[in-house]
Amino acid sequence: MPYILDNRSTFYTLTLLNAGPSQCRMPKTAMSQVEKKAGLLRRTSSSKKPLKEKVVLMYDEIFAKDDPAKNNSRFWDELFLMKVNLEYLEAKLESLDGDEVMKIKDNINSLFHHCVQALAEEHQIKVVNALQTLCALFRGVHQKNKSASGFDIINMLMGFDKAELRMKDLMESLDSLLCGEGSESLKALCLKLLLCLVTVTDNISQNTILEYVMINSIFEAILQILSDVSTRGQHGYDAVVLLALLVNYRKYESVNPYIVKLSIVDDEPTLDGMGLVVGQALTEYNRQYKDKEEENHGGFFSTLTSMVGSMFIADADEKLSVQTNEAILLALYEAVHLNRNFITVLAQSHPEIDIPTTPITPVLTTPTTPLGTTPPSMDMMNSSELPLDPNLQSSNLLITFLKYSSIVMQDTKDEHRLNSARLCLIILTCITEDQYADAFLHDDNMNFRVNLHRMPMRHRKKAAEKNVPSRPLVCAVLDLMVEFIVTHMMKDFPMDLYMRCVQVIHKLICYQKKCRIRLHYTWRELWSALINLLKFLLSNETVLLAKHNIFHLALLVVNLFNMFITYGDTFLPTSNSYDELYYEIVRMHQIFDNLYCMVLRVSTNTGQWKEPASKVTHSLVNVRAIINHFNPKIESYAAVNHISQLSEDQVLEVVRSNYDTLTLKLQDGLDQFERYSEQPKEAAFFKELVRSISLNVRKNVSLNTLSQDLLLKEFSTIS
Amino acid sequence: MSKRLVDPKIEIVCQEGSTATMADMEVAISPAHIEALHLSPSLSSTSTFSCPSSPGSSSSSSSCSDCSSDCPNQHQSSSSPRSSSPSSSGSDGMRGCSPPLDIISEDAVELDLVIDPEVALKACQEVLQKVKLLKVEEEPELLEKCSPQRLLPNGTVYLEPFDTDSIKEEEEQHDPSQQITQPCPPSQQPCDTGSIKEEDEEEEEKCDPPRQITQTCPQSQPQNGDQSSAAAKQSLLLRLFESKLFDVSMAISYLYKSKEPGVQAYIGNRLFSFSDEDVDFHLPQLLNMYVHMDEDMGDAIRPYVVHRCRQSIAFSLQTAWLLGAYSSDMHISTQRHSRGTKLRKLILSDELKPHAASKGVDPAGAAAASPGLRDGARVHHHQRHTVELSPDPDSQIIPADAYLSPSKRTHQRSKSDATHCTSLGTSLKRTASNPKVESTYDEPLRLTPQREFIKSLMGIGKRLATLPTKEQKTKQLTSELLVLNHKLPARVWLPTAAFDHHVVRVPHTQAVVLNSKDKAPYIIYVEVLECESFETSAIPVRIPETRIRSARSADNLLPECIGITAEQRAGSFSTVPNYDNDDEAWAVDDIGELQVELPEGHTSSSDNISQFSVDSITSTESKEPVFIAAGDIRRRLSENLAHTPTTFRKDPEDPSAVALKEPWQEKVRRIREGSPYGHLPNWRLLSVIVKCGDDLRQELLAFQVLSQLQSIWEQERVPLWIKPYKILVMSSDSGMIEPVLNAVSLHQVRKQSQLSLLDYFLQEHGSYTTEAFLTAQRNFVESCAGYSLICYLLQVKDRHNGNILLDSEGHIIHIDFGFILSSSPRNLGFETSAFKLTSEFVDVMGGLDGDMFNYYKMLMLQGLIAARKHMEKVVQIVEIMQQGSHLPCFHGSSTIRYLKERFHMSLTEEQLQVLVEQMVDGSMRSITTKLYDGFQYFTNGIM
Repeated sequence: MPYILDNRSTFYTLTLLNAGPSQCRMPKTAMSQVEKKAGLLRRTSSSKKPLKEKVVLMYDEIFAKDDPAKNNSRFWDELFLMKVNLEYLEAKLESLDGDEVMKIKDNINSLFHHCVQALAEEHQIKVVNALQTLCALFRGVHQKNKSASGFDIINMLMGFDKAELRMKDLMESLDSLLCGEGSESLKALCLKLLLCLVTVTDNISQNTILEYVMINSIFEAILQILSDVSTRGQHGYDAVVLLALLVNYRKYESVNPYIVKLSIVDDEPTLDGMGLVVGQALTEYNRQYKDKEEENHGGFFSTLTSMVGSMFIADADEKLSVQTNEAILLALYEAVHLNRNFITVLAQSHPEIDIPTTPITPVLTTPTTPLGTTPPSMDMMNSSELPLDPNLQSSNLLITFLKYSSIVMQDTKDEHRLNSARLCLIILTCITEDQYADAFLHDDNMNFRVNLHRMPMRHRKKAAEKNVPSRPLVCAVLDLMVEFIVTHMMKDFPMDLYMRCVQVIHKLICYQKKCRIRLHYTWRELWSALINLLKFLLSNETVLLAKHNIFHLALLVVNLFNMFITYGDTFLPTSNSYDELYYEIVRMHQIFDNLYCMVLRVSTNTGQWKEPASKVTHSLVNVRAIINHFNPKIESYAAVNHISQLSEDQVLEVVRSNYDTLTLKLQDGLDQFERYSEQPKEAAFFKELVRSISLNVRKNVSLNTLSQDLLLKEFSTIS
Repeated sequence: MSKRLVDPKIEIVCQEGSTATMADMEVAISPAHIEALHLSPSLSSTSTFSCPSSPGSSSSSSSCSDCSSDCPNQHQSSSSPRSSSPSSSGSDGMRGCSPPLDIISEDAVELDLVIDPEVALKACQEVLQKVKLLKVEEEPELLEKCSPQRLLPNGTVYLEPFDTDSIKEEEEQHDPSQQITQPCPPSQQPCDTGSIKEEDEEEEEKCDPPRQITQTCPQSQPQNGDQSSAAAKQSLLLRLFESKLFDVSMAISYLYKSKEPGVQAYIGNRLFSFSDEDVDFHLPQLLNMYVHMDEDMGDAIRPYVVHRCRQSIAFSLQTAWLLGAYSSDMHISTQRHSRGTKLRKLILSDELKPHAASKGVDPAGAAAASPGLRDGARVHHHQRHTVELSPDPDSQIIPADAYLSPSKRTHQRSKSDATHCTSLGTSLKRTASNPKVESTYDEPLRLTPQREFIKSLMGIGKRLATLPTKEQKTKQLTSELLVLNHKLPARVWLPTAAFDHHVVRVPHTQAVVLNSKDKAPYIIYVEVLECESFETSAIPVRIPETRIRSARSADNLLPECIGITAEQRAGSFSTVPNYDNDDEAWAVDDIGELQVELPEGHTSSSDNISQFSVDSITSTESKEPVFIAAGDIRRRLSENLAHTPTTFRKDPEDPSAVALKEPWQEKVRRIREGSPYGHLPNWRLLSVIVKCGDDLRQELLAFQVLSQLQSIWEQERVPLWIKPYKILVMSSDSGMIEPVLNAVSLHQVRKQSQLSLLDYFLQEHGSYTTEAFLTAQRNFVESCAGYSLICYLLQVKDRHNGNILLDSEGHIIHIDFGFILSSSPRNLGFETSAFKLTSEFVDVMGGLDGDMFNYYKMLMLQGLIAARKHMEKVVQIVEIMQQGSHLPCFHGSSTIRYLKERFHMSLTEEQLQVLVEQMVDGSMRSITTKLYDGFQYFTNGIM
């Protein structure tokens, strides 16, 4: 198999030990850790062998060449009754080099085999231990085998001939544990094991074992967790992350059954459940951000403080955004991108609830009470008692997402945040391409107040936006885009984000034009933001041209204006707004003139930009016609009436009375856009993203798996 | 025959599996049947064969077959039609089981009095004939005969099932052994039958021993005497009752006025002969009389009500609601109080089921009446029996069963029980796509879903009322309805609709809160699927919201787009504009040279260019550029804006304005597009206003009066236009209202348009001379005249502009009849004029001298004359409702007198004309109208 070996992976080793990554780079170091551990034991006890934990002795037996069950037929039974020593096991595995491993391969195979068998045990303590042992096995083997291919790993763990069977058994056991009535913490552990398995390699596509997870799908189990209210609350997050990762396994090279399955899910409770999990995670983030912000900003209004404050926030929240939300965002993306039914979930309104433990139950899942069998009252009256708090804003996933985006987009300097912002915009692109989503975005009956976060800036006051009117959701999307355009004109120009941003606006306008929706939006803000963007491009031409094709962006922006100019009659809300468009163009004619000069210059020279620049010159034809038509008229009006400065009304008056002598050119294809496709353009981005998510998940899982002592206690008392 | 007789009881026996009761039952039933047999051989036989499907017939058939020589044939004949006709099966069933029921609940006894309309009708006629004949002979008894209680042979027939029950009950209660000892002999005297009924009426007390049967004869004699004195009157009455003119309205009227129990009972029976719709209109009157008037009245009405309750779930619920509402006023007489509430409880307890299996309750059944047994197990049990149907002696049991179970419902139900079991068994572990768990399930509790539906709607209203702002209310409403949606579809319906349907979805985002100061009425739009029969048609399968996409979606949209694109590419857009770089040409105004193509075709077609082709500007290398004039774009924009039906601006403080302004058809189309059920051919959209915390009884009364007047005017061909909107009273403080479609209040019109009414008419309908405006004006005048009369006659007050709607055709519609007749708001002395007629109204009519204004006055005169002619019909509606009512509109003692006076019976037409002129003048000049509008503006912000 043509795996590209990822050399990054070699530098990442177990974080289980309290040592930092630098200490764990080489197997030798790891070995020394084991020694250290043993040393610790020695120090406290003074005699070596007797004080080793029994489980450690048993591990040692496994790592010997002989069959451990030879002397003690109950060896395996006993092993799983012992508390697992993950550190030791992992470190030991890690310390072995290739040859040594091959020598004890049979024992490891049989350890794996017995682990899988133990999963079916009645004693839950055994199941727990087996799950943890498996975690350690997967991890240890991978950390050891930096150079070994995936096949070697499989061979080492299960043996080639048995691998298929073993993995099938393993997946089936996990599946039944996840779907069964068993303990919740057991389910949690199963998910941890799966997450552990999925993230052992940095590049998920190189994880050959996942091939078996593809064959033995646990997709249904994940869905069930998501559809059930109680399990969703506890395991929803892990389940969603796991799903997101699995979907990304060799996404572009092969047929991933998880992609196929995810794209056809149409079960309402499940999709709702997924939406709720994502929504809660994002809400939680928003809430934390807000808390931080209030903490930092409390009472200070000077721009300086707020800027300092925002720096704080950025630092404080960075971790959060990196650790949790990219994975969730990826899940949201996959759901929106792959599953057309998921779009409806976006608009499902639910009260904004901070505490994720409060299960919102919009679904009737209990099969024992189908409608019509029991009086609807039972569930109707009980579950429909929505929290009745007047301060509670009802919300939906889309609103939560928009708020989240507004936070993430505030600061794109950090790479993680830049990626998050990019992903947000990609998701928005997918949403705006969807007919149904557009329909509810523009639904006049679905009005919401969306308080977007705005970056504190020197030239504008912050607190003014508390009273956002309740409007169709599309207004919030447009606001967000305008906000982004205005706030990111910086030297390190996020070109591709701008492209996506303008495309989102374009798609929305195309929809409005097609469906003749006259949105009552203050288009003026958008126009001036776009004109300012052009201005920025012009003034930083040389710097930007070194890195980006600014003509493409300029073309998109000018074409947005062309949309308004030639098709304004189909979607502008009032006749005045058309006049205002002309007013704005005429007012800012300098920028359009400069732009024209610039593109004309570039297009007459030979060079790589010749063609894109000439496209912009073509697209400017109507704007220039307008400027050239109205400017003389306005000047003569001023001259005739002896006014040096015309008021807006006067200009509008001139505009209104001179339409009839202006002819415009109908441009073709203004309302056409390239549909989003992940491949090939975005493939690299997603590969990187998944890699970084894998790393984070692995980090988190390792910590969490260790804290399963509580769990052990739970079961030891039971059994 | 005895075998035949036994059948019904045996059913019960096998249900309960207790043979002990069997003997009792047999005995219990027989005497009455035998009587009946003796009394009315002819009639019973007729009914058996002529109308086998009717419940009454079943009773008589069983009674006539008392003679133990039951032949299989006959048995077949009686059972088979039942199985074929579901409607009948219900009532058969209940008949079969009725005896046991008595013992369980006292109320149930009475219920069993089911009288088949046809039979009743026939009986009525026969009685009347007889009476006539007898009258000629001047027999004293003949008078008795006109009262069904004492009816001889023929009369008894339709009362007989009733008697049976009572006898049985008494016997069982007091002397079971006695019954056994005297099994079938036809010992009872014919005259007893009549008396039995009387007893039955009193049987609530249940203290009469069987002996009373004989004692009752004397009881009836005094009545006899009374009646004889009024003999002549009676005969006239009878003639009237017989006549074709005798309609429900008259029946109600006589029922109300007559103090004669005989007449009351007769009319009570006569009710069966009217169509359901006609009686339904007067249901509030009937029930109010039932609740508030004396025993005789109650007894006369009850059989009919019970019969209808068995037939229809909708009727049951409506009756229960109304009973609850009308009983709420009185606490004085506990006995009376109990009558209405008892019946209500009985209906709500769901004992009044149309078929036996579910409501069969007898001594043993009482024990077995646990709900669990009621549905699953029992029905299955029956079926098992049915299957092993065989003709041997002990199949006595089995035929009985067959008699029971063939009813369609039973089958259906057991089937669905089975499906239910399986669905439980295979509990949807794997969620993948199994939304069907909740479908195909028949409701064991037939009234429950609807009641719960209503309850949750009311619950929402109550909770909304606690929120401070409209916006929060609307938000909350949306969320609540979303949750409600998850329980749909179900066997629930909107009682305001004219057709049978099941509610499948409430588009939650469409609902809005209406303007009200402290309550939270709201309007919801409800998607329903029309069906053949609400009760028997299967509940539609739930289509998840997400399915919307597969139903109608990009899939369907895109090909269309692509098609158009291809066409366009071939057509007008094959030539793509040439971009001459000489842009200076554009700077100058020499457009004359440039060929300006008319943009219409191009722009409209280019609208639809699909989104697929990329960046086509690059491919601009062809010859002919397409030019458009900026002026055209601008013009089209303003034209489009003008042509789109004017919408109202969003106002968070008045969310309903926008929702109500949207044309209904438009809304239907829009919601249909967005609905997963929208593709179904029987999809319909309904809307309803849910009112919580408001007493709608007055509204209901107003609705009745309006409807009555409407039909009077229609009958008299006076083109007055009014729009009575349906009212559902659910309790004394909640209910539903059918919204007036395509109408917004004058207040909203003013506030949103900032125009005078006339200008608004011009804006909406076009200038003075256009057809549209003239039509709208005519509509306005006709509706104005209609409502002016209504306002005058009913003394409708609180006429501010928020309570007057204007529909899209120009009609005005008055709503909110919270202050009518004797009540007026706060007695501030406002609104002293006869009705509201502002100068704005007159302006729309074309001014004081206009033809339309004269037409207005003329219409009013005609309308008043017509109304006067039928005053009784109108007054009676009000009068009956006054009975026992504490409604503010009946405040004082002279409500009815004043109402009658307003019809001015004594005036000549000329005098009436003067009166109308005076009223119009007075109203127009009325300073109080203006004052009231001003008052409303300042206090409630109503313009």
